[in-house]
Amino acid sequence: MSDDGIVCRCEEVTLGEVRRAIREGAVDVHGVKLRTRAGMGLCQGRTCENLVARILMSELGIPRERVFPDRVRPPVISLTFGALAGEPK
Amino acid sequence: MSRTADALVIGGGVIGSAVFYYLSKEGVRAALVERGDICSGTSGACDGNILSIDKEPGYDSQLALLSQRLLRELVAELDCDVDYTQRGSVLVVEPDARQEAMARDWMRRQKEAGLPMRYIEGREVFESEPLLARDVIGLVECASDSSLSPLALTFGLVEAAKRLGGAVYPRTEIRELLRDRAGSIRGARSSTEEFAAPRVILAAGVWTPHLAGTVGLDVPIQPRKGHILVGERTPDLGRRKLQEFGYLMAKFGQKGVRGVEPAMEESGVAMVYEPTGHGNFLIGSSRQFVGFDTQCDLEVLRLLAKRALRFFPSLRNMKVIHSYAGLRPWTPDHYPIVSAVASIPGLYIAAGHEGDGIGLAPITGRLLSEMITGRMTAMSVDPLRLERFDDGAEKSASH
Repeated sequence: MSDDGIVCRCEEVTLGEVRRAIREGAVDVHGVKLRTRAGMGLCQGRTCENLVARILMSELGIPRERVFPDRVRPPVISLTFGALAGEPK
Repeated sequence: MSRTADALVIGGGVIGSAVFYYLSKEGVRAALVERGDICSGTSGACDGNILSIDKEPGYDSQLALLSQRLLRELVAELDCDVDYTQRGSVLVVEPDARQEAMARDWMRRQKEAGLPMRYIEGREVFESEPLLARDVIGLVECASDSSLSPLALTFGLVEAAKRLGGAVYPRTEIRELLRDRAGSIRGARSSTEEFAAPRVILAAGVWTPHLAGTVGLDVPIQPRKGHILVGERTPDLGRRKLQEFGYLMAKFGQKGVRGVEPAMEESGVAMVYEPTGHGNFLIGSSRQFVGFDTQCDLEVLRLLAKRALRFFPSLRNMKVIHSYAGLRPWTPDHYPIVSAVASIPGLYIAAGHEGDGIGLAPITGRLLSEMITGRMTAMSVDPLRLERFDDGAEKSASH
């Protein structure tokens, strides 16, 4: 796949940018996210996370369980500020 | 295994990265050690404000103003896009005579301290910020305030320092600082390696007291937890960075002045809105002393959303896509510690910036590099000395 290929559609992050992040020291999905914004968009990595994981595994030669940090931040699905504030619909 | 450097910086957040960069720029052979990944602690869980408006008028606000100037130079020096924008910031004043008087007084004192401030009222409030709640009576504006991506800045500083010859050791947790027989610093030790360095800079934020404790030094920094909500990409809700005037009350720990519900007061919730360089926006803020826990508390997130709606009713139908919480390194007098340690030659501290680390990183890096290379500092560093705290001296002469 070429370096121009889009990995994260929400934030328009390319394969080349993900590879560069790995060269600069990213070793897991979170490290790639902080350096490139891959996974920071509206879908929060639902689409690109597995792709980023596969790139990390092949570039670094490490198993799948090493590339996922164990953190989950709410909300798991997006909701409106009104709903979060507990306002009636 | 042993490694050597002229200066060893401990902590890969924005402060350590700035110190590492300014030292490398001065030709000092520097090394940076970080226990996790670069930017994986507080600097990766904050916002990107470069503010003078919320600093105490006088030394504190001038320090911030100088840092803003240095940052503009830095943005040009670093070969990367840090999403820097200078849109200015405003404090939003609610219809309350006491608050209005305090806001006008704040504006006047900041202006006297040299900040580009003005008070906006009447129709101009809604001409400049059309989506604000209609009962807002005024805005205190600071034109020099700006914002950027804290992540891009931190990585940019580290990459630039690497190009200048600096060495980086991520995933390297320092277990203890090392002293020689005379009591001077001689390096630090991780579980696998020893780093020999005649100068060691502790820039580990809320984790600084733990490291300082390994040489019997007391550093009065405590973790103060802050939550942030991330909003979806939208056309600007506010054109500038906005925060309620009561944010100053929450920051300086004054309770009962704002007339908000007790739960909000308790968790230090005050509205802060920041448009990011990528079209998203951030909503803060909260301030809690709850140890080292960084889990998001849903009740605090609810209060953040509720408080934001008080100032931006149209936020109601916009989406929250994410949230996070970080630990701000709090000090008792709200000033950071940028200091040589008088009792331990060779040891320096650059920590305790609470919510101002991003904005004060340039001046902190600059001051530290001047202290280490023995030059005159750009500003007096006396108010930032560790020894200003009564119990800041060495606890015992161990090691």
